[in-house]
Amino acid sequence: MDMIDKAILDIIQSHYPLVSRPYAAIGERLGLTEAETLARVRALTGSGVIRRIGANFPSRGIGWHSTLCAAKVPADKLDAFVAEVNSHPGVTHNYRREHEFNIWFTFIGESAQAVQDTLAAITAKTGVPILYLPALKTYKIKVDFAMQAKPQAGEA
Amino acid sequence: MPDSSRKAPELTAAQRAVLRIVQDTLPDSERPFAAIAEIAGISEDEALNLLRGLKDEGRIRRFGATLRHQRAGYRFNAMAAWRADDAEADRLAAVMTARPEVSHCYKRKTYPEWPYNLYAMIHGKSREQCLTVVEELKAATGLTDCLVLFSVQELKKTSMAYF
Repeated sequence: MDMIDKAILDIIQSHYPLVSRPYAAIGERLGLTEAETLARVRALTGSGVIRRIGANFPSRGIGWHSTLCAAKVPADKLDAFVAEVNSHPGVTHNYRREHEFNIWFTFIGESAQAVQDTLAAITAKTGVPILYLPALKTYKIKVDFAMQAKPQAGEA
Repeated sequence: MPDSSRKAPELTAAQRAVLRIVQDTLPDSERPFAAIAEIAGISEDEALNLLRGLKDEGRIRRFGATLRHQRAGYRFNAMAAWRADDAEADRLAAVMTARPEVSHCYKRKTYPEWPYNLYAMIHGKSREQCLTVVEELKAATGLTDCLVLFSVQELKKTSMAYF
């Protein structure tokens, strides 16, 4: 990844142009042709740096409910618990963390009740209680990672 | 942050088709929105106007590339869970969110066995970098009761299919 790749990533994480020819617009800002810009984005996707390019929806904004969940899972139940949790499409992130509460996952469902019902069903099936930790207040969601040493103008 | 708590207006079948694509990933094309519009059976302008409108209203929070942060150099993430006085939570959260290393910050429900109410997700290029941020946040907030939960294994990471 060179400086030009980093400059492209700094633009397209939050300011992907919603225009007919986005790669021409990005290239124009960096002195690249449309073809060069698209080739670099393809390479960054191919090497796994870019996971996807698309829209991020705040679940609440479209009427859904999301929550963080935590569980204290004994070693002998870990694989079965993780397999059960991950089988639910509403589970989008799941991490093992260094703590007695060792499994932390996010769960999105159509309503708070639907989410809690599903968590109760997972507990009934696995025997592992789950802490339901919905957000009461959101202070920050900023998933851009600054690639260049100096932040781009206009980025807070 | 725009108010996004209202119910979304009804979408047409074509609009839902557009959103089904962009909740995943754009087609690999010089004109990705024309490609999406063709699949959905609408014009490129209609597809672009839909997405611009949803972004302006905050119904799309962000439109762009999502990185695998491990591959982008940010290999370590620590969830810092803090026990803070509820009345002070907003002020203390403002100290945390001012740090660029903090990607997410929430106040969450507590339980007698889990009294931690403020959460800051900290990203760094090393474990030490994450811990330095925690120490600096302790100094800046005066909070002392903090758990630092480093991730040791990514078990799942996907995007939600809403549409």
